[in-house]
Amino acid sequence: MVNLTIDDKQVTAPKDATIYDAARINGIKIPILCHDKKLKPFGACRMCLVEVEQMKGRQIPACTTPVTDGMIIRTDTPDIIKARKLVLELLLLNHPLDCPVCDKGGDCDLQNLTYEYKVDSNRFVDSKFQHVIDYNNPLIERDMNRCVLCGKCVRICDEIVGFGALTFIDRGIETKIGCEFEKGLDCEFCGSCISVCPVGSLLARPFKFKSRFWALTNNKSVCGYCGTGCNVTLGVKDNKVLTTVYDENQGFHKGQLCVRGRFGYQFINSAKRLTTPLVKKNGALTESTWDEALEIVAGRLKGGSAVAALATPRLTNEELVLFKKLLVENVGTKNYDHSAGYAHSALTEGFVRSFGSAASSASILDVQKTDLLLVIKTDTYETHPVVGFEMNMAVKNKGVKLSILSDKRGKLSKLPHAQTLVHRPGSEIVLLNAIARTLIDEKLVADSAASVAGYAELEKALSGVSIEAAVTASGISAADIKNLASEYASAAKALIVFPVGQAYTGHTAALASAAANIAILTGKYGKEGCGVLCLSEKNNSQGAIDMGFYAQDGGLNGLQILDACADGSVKTLFVAGENPLVSYPDRARVKAALDAVEFLVVSELFLTETAAMADVVLPVCSFAEKEGTFTSSDRRVQYITPAIRKGARIKSDFELFSNLITRLGGQGTSTPEALFGEISSTVSGYQGMSYQALQIESAFAPVVITPALVVPLPESPRASEAGKLALVTGSVLYHSGTLSQYGEGPMHVCPEAYIEMSRTDAAAHKIAENDMVTVTSATGNIKLKAKVTPRMPAGVVFVPYNFSSAPVNTIWNGAAVTSVTVTK
Amino acid sequence: MGDKSDIQILICQGTGGISAGAKGVEAEFTRVIAEQGLSATIGKRCDVIKTGCRGLCANDVLVDIITPDQGRVTYDFVLPEEVEKIVKEHIIGSATLDKRKAKPYYNTFLERQMRVVMGNCGEIDPDSLDAYLSDYSKGFQAIEKCVKTMKQDEVIEEVKKSGLRGRGGGGFPTGMKWSFCKASAGHHKYLICNADEGDPGAFMDRSILEGDPYCIIEGMQIAGYAIGATYGYVYVRAEYPLAVQRLQHAIDVCYEKGYLGKNIKGWGLDFDMRIKMGAGAFVCGEETALMASIEGERGMSRPRPPFPAVKGLWGYPTNINNVETFANVRHIINNGSGWYASLGTETTKGTKIFAVTGKVKHTGLVEVPAGMKVREVLFDVCGGIVNNRKFKAVQAGGPSGGCIPEELLDTLVDYNALIQAGAMMGSGGLVVMDETTCMVDVAKFFLTFTRTESCGKCVPCRIGLKVMLDILTKITEGRGEPSDIDALLDLGAAIKKASLCGLGQTAPNPVLSTINYFLPEYEAHINDKRCPSNCCKDLLLWEVSNEKCVKCGACKKACPVNAIVWEKGQLAYLDQEKCTKCKSCYDACRFMALV
Repeated sequence: MVNLTIDDKQVTAPKDATIYDAARINGIKIPILCHDKKLKPFGACRMCLVEVEQMKGRQIPACTTPVTDGMIIRTDTPDIIKARKLVLELLLLNHPLDCPVCDKGGDCDLQNLTYEYKVDSNRFVDSKFQHVIDYNNPLIERDMNRCVLCGKCVRICDEIVGFGALTFIDRGIETKIGCEFEKGLDCEFCGSCISVCPVGSLLARPFKFKSRFWALTNNKSVCGYCGTGCNVTLGVKDNKVLTTVYDENQGFHKGQLCVRGRFGYQFINSAKRLTTPLVKKNGALTESTWDEALEIVAGRLKGGSAVAALATPRLTNEELVLFKKLLVENVGTKNYDHSAGYAHSALTEGFVRSFGSAASSASILDVQKTDLLLVIKTDTYETHPVVGFEMNMAVKNKGVKLSILSDKRGKLSKLPHAQTLVHRPGSEIVLLNAIARTLIDEKLVADSAASVAGYAELEKALSGVSIEAAVTASGISAADIKNLASEYASAAKALIVFPVGQAYTGHTAALASAAANIAILTGKYGKEGCGVLCLSEKNNSQGAIDMGFYAQDGGLNGLQILDACADGSVKTLFVAGENPLVSYPDRARVKAALDAVEFLVVSELFLTETAAMADVVLPVCSFAEKEGTFTSSDRRVQYITPAIRKGARIKSDFELFSNLITRLGGQGTSTPEALFGEISSTVSGYQGMSYQALQIESAFAPVVITPALVVPLPESPRASEAGKLALVTGSVLYHSGTLSQYGEGPMHVCPEAYIEMSRTDAAAHKIAENDMVTVTSATGNIKLKAKVTPRMPAGVVFVPYNFSSAPVNTIWNGAAVTSVTVTK
Repeated sequence: MGDKSDIQILICQGTGGISAGAKGVEAEFTRVIAEQGLSATIGKRCDVIKTGCRGLCANDVLVDIITPDQGRVTYDFVLPEEVEKIVKEHIIGSATLDKRKAKPYYNTFLERQMRVVMGNCGEIDPDSLDAYLSDYSKGFQAIEKCVKTMKQDEVIEEVKKSGLRGRGGGGFPTGMKWSFCKASAGHHKYLICNADEGDPGAFMDRSILEGDPYCIIEGMQIAGYAIGATYGYVYVRAEYPLAVQRLQHAIDVCYEKGYLGKNIKGWGLDFDMRIKMGAGAFVCGEETALMASIEGERGMSRPRPPFPAVKGLWGYPTNINNVETFANVRHIINNGSGWYASLGTETTKGTKIFAVTGKVKHTGLVEVPAGMKVREVLFDVCGGIVNNRKFKAVQAGGPSGGCIPEELLDTLVDYNALIQAGAMMGSGGLVVMDETTCMVDVAKFFLTFTRTESCGKCVPCRIGLKVMLDILTKITEGRGEPSDIDALLDLGAAIKKASLCGLGQTAPNPVLSTINYFLPEYEAHINDKRCPSNCCKDLLLWEVSNEKCVKCGACKKACPVNAIVWEKGQLAYLDQEKCTKCKSCYDACRFMALV
């Protein structure tokens, strides 16, 4: 700490604080326009000028100047006030002053400072800018006429997002913010630039003219898309979520969101939402009452093990526990699961074996605390963009090394000094085993490893692993394997990251163990910046596992349930929020099951393809209309509260399950809070958590690690057939599962499925960008638009799995690698 | 400088010389010498040597012929067609062509100078390592002395004792700067040579790079050794192609001959260097913007602290010096700090190179010992004002500097004295103005430059300079108001105090200093709507003075629109209807008869 004097007040501040920080900590306000605590010091706007006794003659920018012991600072001398007024006068010379029609009105830093400094006249004259407004994209409007050139948009896009879409162009008074070659904005549309813009230069187009800023009610919530667990503030007016509002203090990510979080909220108020229960009558779904619908459903649930259920991990922890209670205690079945039953096996089987716990052995916060990141699949940036931002910052600001094992290149590969080993699809386990063997051969294992259970077995098994075979299977050279092994082992701290989800059929329990082995062999687990971070797909995937909502004790798993429907042993299927017809592998298999099952009930927000086949459809709440808790990938338990009132004839899943329990003669639970009491007394890691405390601040459910070295089970070969292309599927940046199809924002940017292929393959097949091609596999064919990109290696094609209009499960049966042919 | 018994023909081939046709002259000398079989004829070696610039580019092509019997003879304005005659009469015939010899001005120009830094310019072949290593040039002796006989701190101490101050403009003590960077933690440090010479009218750095590139390499090696930096960048503007070419050649040769790279000449010193070309932004001469540019970012200044010595290029401690500063270093080591400190004044040691342009007779580069009077530089070395006109002011320090009026002409060449006079040493540009120069227009010229070259980052510089320029434009167009002067003073002072980097912090200087010394000119523009120097077009309303007109008719010949009525032996008359105010007549008149 250093001692200094600000405006005659004796204060102390941390050694690395700036004058601005020191003043803020001590309750002294210094105005800022270009400064943002998340970004590197810039010092452009000169609003924060102060006088420092020791630096007489100059005016010192508070936001960039570090404090030193004994500094005597004045923040409000007449000269300083005059200088600040001059800055505002100069800015207002060119600023259009179209505040009445500017969406930023009321939330504008320039407006507020002008008011605060009473700049009611201008000594100078100049003309206004005549820049053309960029309307080239549907989400972000860029109006450079209002710009004050604080550069925050440029910096956030570079320093945090890592995209670099914006830059300063030209010099002098002609300086402006633009895109390369002055083209329109074409980026990831995460909207980070909007969030930091102090004026109305960057605006969210979907929100334009929707509401004045002060008319919005801000409701804190948790994003309902992926497992990162970002906090969002929903801007509500007239019971509609109209926008997301930036709050730089929110969450570990400091208010940072991806395109889905920021622009994907429209599904909440979508006109396509189900508003009333539907019951199939004479072969057609017709509007019904809750009473009638629930009575039918309750009747059909009295079937014991002939009843099965699939639930989406977008339900709250409380809903999942209540659903499980209904099924186990009142229906009498163990047949329930989520995410097709395999998407979570890395956690429920792999990590249970390797770490003794069905959870990540690291948190997202470890990304910035490690020395080396080993990322399996570059898709992390697409599946969990905000975690990608953390990686970007770790690499760029903290010099964290980044090594990537992936079947294609991606945005992560572009980070400075990132080393991407592009391997043949499906060879991840072979590669990781080869690395494990190298660790042992090169004596890079930690002393602690030998005493870990299973060491001898693993050593024996690995001695049978051939590096040459791994080289052949993966296409990665022996030198690269050795190099990666030694870099990983020699890093003081290292973190392994990999995504799981329904699209990643190859990311199995065996892969999880293979990855865990490396961490355990080198002793890189159970401490800061180490371990394996498994990024789960949905906002409450980890919660669903923690609540035990997956096949256990002889219950059928997701895919087995479908087979049981097809063979008639399951007669009633309750689908809560899943859309297996689009998102589960092998569409024919799913269709057959849903056709065959006697009774299908679906609780949903929308009439999805699966819901359309149901006998009863129950309209339920989105995350914005209900209360409860979600658990993020790294086991952060977070509370949500309704941001808007639900529709008159809509129930939450919680109410629905509670009602059914009562109808089946059980004792319903009245509130999520009451149910959380059960969770906190029974679920491992949640013990001692208080619902009230969670309403104020989230809490981590600790993970207890019991390491064991496990021989990764041999996998069936995954290589593609000769002469065919290897199809891998996955998630696309703008979408999450199939829900985001109802978000206007994501659909504006990425409206349809496509097939991404290398230039080599495109040339060989004479395919050009945007050509419609037919993709055929052993199980079927679909038509897709071609996208030719440099990131795909030759021989590999990628199709996202998020789209109903061209469901990839027509050609994909769940194999990690599918052989396909592509024809024009 | 080869054997005294040989004949040498030195041809000035800086950018100025080459533009004037030096390549053709050189080719012609080579051809004629071969044709005449000269070596055989007179029994002596005869070398045609290209050299760097001698500082008098306006009089190129300059050729020195050195023969054992005639000594050194200089010819100016040499054309290829004269070469044969020169060879035959001067070299073979041993008779100098007296009519073609450079006039006495040439010796006057050189005699008051003290050429230390530019000692090799105009004397040796800049591409030749052997020439640099010769006894004359003593190349790489300073670095060898440092590595073999001095500790790092001793080198820094020596530079400190010499009193050398940064020649790029700021005048920060060089040894002090080095000691800061040396004291920074870490072993990875960078050295940068700032050759982004951007002041209008300054070209001494270019000339050094073109005329003596090896001395920059040696200067940087010495600094690198002292600081502990093993990698150096030279940031040269791409508009200096010849400088880049000669320096690159020198770097290549040094690598080839072991003067760069690992374990230089077995002395145990590692030093690598490369050129980074700038893309022509003035602000990139500012050290933080320069580093941003090397890093591949847009050239925009960064806040300080952190200072480059602590956190500079790529985040590592970095020391940046200007070309002329590095060029001084080897002389300090070779001749000792005592010798260096004996030159100059209390606060400014050594020599300083000035680029003198404008209305003086002999424009060019002059190197004078610090402590000389500005008047001596302009009148004794450079020959005074052209066309018999009256001296009005000299602008020193480029766009960051200020104007020195006649009454302050005895100001010394000294960092502190110049600042006291309201100007600054800057990089050493001296723009000389006579009575036909309007000081409001001069201020406008420099502000137009800085307003365009502002990086656009901070508000005072980006918008404030534009507003100041608008006001000046208004004044020169006759729309000025009395309150404008206060507005300029107010804005100027605010911009100086509030701007982020040196560009904005000094850009108002030309305006403030002209208001300070030439307020009546401003007032004439504003109150009388007159430009006293007959310079601002919109305020021109002139006629031929019957008293001053000598009836020579020069004005009529100059007028492109036949607005001058003149007959031989008659007074000239200006037809206001036809006049387009192009000022050709004004410039043509040697008697200031247009008033």
